[in-house]
Amino acid sequence: MDYKYLNNMLAEMDKDLSEKGMSRRDAMKLAGISGAGLFMGASNVQAMEKDQLPLKKSGVDAKIVIVGGGLAGISTAKRLTNFIENPDITIIEPEKLSASYQPGQTLVGAGIWDIDDIKENREDYVPDGVKLIPEKVIDFDPTNNQVTTDKGQVVSYDYLVVATGIQHDYERLEGLEEAGRAYSTGDNTRLHKAMGDDTGLCSIWTAEGSAKTWDVMQEYIEKAKNVKEGEEKIKFLFTHPATPIKCGGAPKKIMYLTNSRLKEAGAREGAELHFYPNGGAMFGVPEYHDAIMEQFKREDFKWHFRHNLVRVDKERKIATFDAKWQEKGPYDPIMRDFEVYSKHERKEVPYDFLHITPDAVAPREVAESDLGGASGFVPVNKETLQHVKYMNVFAVGDVASVPMAKTGGSVRKQYKVLVDNIVSQMEGKKLEAKYAGYTVCPLITSIGTVMLAEFDWTVKPTPLVPLDPTVERWIWWLMKVYALKPMTMIGMMKLGQA
Amino acid sequence: MQVRFEFAIYDEELDTFELDENVYSFELNEEQVETYKLFKEVDLHLYNWFKDSKIFNNWIKEKVYPDKIGQKIVICDIEDISFRRYYFFKVTSADAHYEYFKKLFNIFHELDWQDREEVGANILEHLVIKRQELIIELKEEQAEENTIASNADTIEIVE
Repeated sequence: MDYKYLNNMLAEMDKDLSEKGMSRRDAMKLAGISGAGLFMGASNVQAMEKDQLPLKKSGVDAKIVIVGGGLAGISTAKRLTNFIENPDITIIEPEKLSASYQPGQTLVGAGIWDIDDIKENREDYVPDGVKLIPEKVIDFDPTNNQVTTDKGQVVSYDYLVVATGIQHDYERLEGLEEAGRAYSTGDNTRLHKAMGDDTGLCSIWTAEGSAKTWDVMQEYIEKAKNVKEGEEKIKFLFTHPATPIKCGGAPKKIMYLTNSRLKEAGAREGAELHFYPNGGAMFGVPEYHDAIMEQFKREDFKWHFRHNLVRVDKERKIATFDAKWQEKGPYDPIMRDFEVYSKHERKEVPYDFLHITPDAVAPREVAESDLGGASGFVPVNKETLQHVKYMNVFAVGDVASVPMAKTGGSVRKQYKVLVDNIVSQMEGKKLEAKYAGYTVCPLITSIGTVMLAEFDWTVKPTPLVPLDPTVERWIWWLMKVYALKPMTMIGMMKLGQA
Repeated sequence: MQVRFEFAIYDEELDTFELDENVYSFELNEEQVETYKLFKEVDLHLYNWFKDSKIFNNWIKEKVYPDKIGQKIVICDIEDISFRRYYFFKVTSADAHYEYFKKLFNIFHELDWQDREEVGANILEHLVIKRQELIIELKEEQAEENTIASNADTIEIVE
């Protein structure tokens, strides 16, 4: 992977693009990859995005409270300051490292980045003029337009943006009841204690957990390296739960990266890699599903659809799954066909290395409030992001009940829509901005290759750059590793524009 | 050539379909036979062709359901082609129907956690709309003539 290789890949990409009558610069601009100066010679993000600023700021006057100071909350706050003349905005966020770059956790988990590469302080990103309350909201009272914090402070608002993110529900798993629930950042000592040492357990869904994953991965790669012919191979298991999760591709990404590290160490022959997803497909978009299936076959991965992890026995190193299948029922004379019955049973699977992707849930204070819906997430109009019941409440990011992947790629499209609509609502206009459901998942398939899975409500590939979206490319790896973080941290959080 | 039909009667208040277990035969002329052969590979085209055919509609009103003017009916079967899945679909229905609707309505397991029940509920929502497109209303002849006359008047005014 030297410059010569990079140049070859870029030349290949240019060839594909020129067939479409497009230069690399135009393609990147079209894709909105403003941080991709690496490829284009663009000197900074601000110059690329300056045409996005409004000609005239709105003169509306209202108090906006944003609960949550992660990517969605801070980007929204910054963009509101771009669009409102005299903004009165308050962010309520208790976690000091809430601005950390979560998409990098996969890379930390595979030892490509260090944990310090993703740690970002909240204070460095809260926009000028925006008030920060470093407390946790424990009660939402949308009827009286106020929230209450854990320190007893009651904060009233005219408009509320819920951007709390989600929690990882490790305690749901039998054997990990002591783990509790965890946010990606913050003090997760309880979780790591429950996971234990020398148990082969790991999980990249918290920042500290991703660093620990790399330690555990190295330990078991070493064991795989020492497997002699005829001996049992080291079993690496990767799970995908029955709930929406942050970045649905991540459980596969860490599996692909483990595979890469095993190959790099000359230990692949001593390892078996198994994927246990709760669902019946590798990806919601059939084209990407097919591409991933081919990759799984090529890399000799085993897969077991419709298996949901429910129990972990750390002592015996046994993972228990709720396995589901369907059986043919009696003949239905009206339908003139056979019924299908769903069945399930528990299945025990021994493991050496177990990477857990936990259920993701809305924080209790949101789920149990009047703002939470049946699933706990905040029910919003999926296009306008306005709450279905409270017209002065909006939700953005992972906590919003939007039937689309919970990724930074989704937030990148959502926060602009939300700001347009909240300003329109304040001005008494119709909400015209609509989230089209676009999201992107850079699916890492090895160290050096990424398949850029882009799609929207149509659940069909919607590549912004006219290249075959099912092909794994080095150029997207470069984008994932070098360009996406500056685009996110600077373009979205610092500028509110990317 | 005779084509066999089975129908169901739509109850608008209850939004349910009652199967008429009788089989009715409709005679096609030579030209219609050619069209039938062309459309029978694409079931919804075939359905819509009959639904929009005035001769077919008159046959239903005059021969099949002369006492049901003002009611709504649907075609359940045309020869060996069944449309029952549109009216009697259940979430637990056989895979063939389930997969058919997923494809028809562009529903995929777009989110890995969705199970059959959730996707089935989604299918049912789409079906409510689709079924309305398939309903044949047995209108009074007089009403149709009035509409034609009214349209003709409009054209005259425009000219």
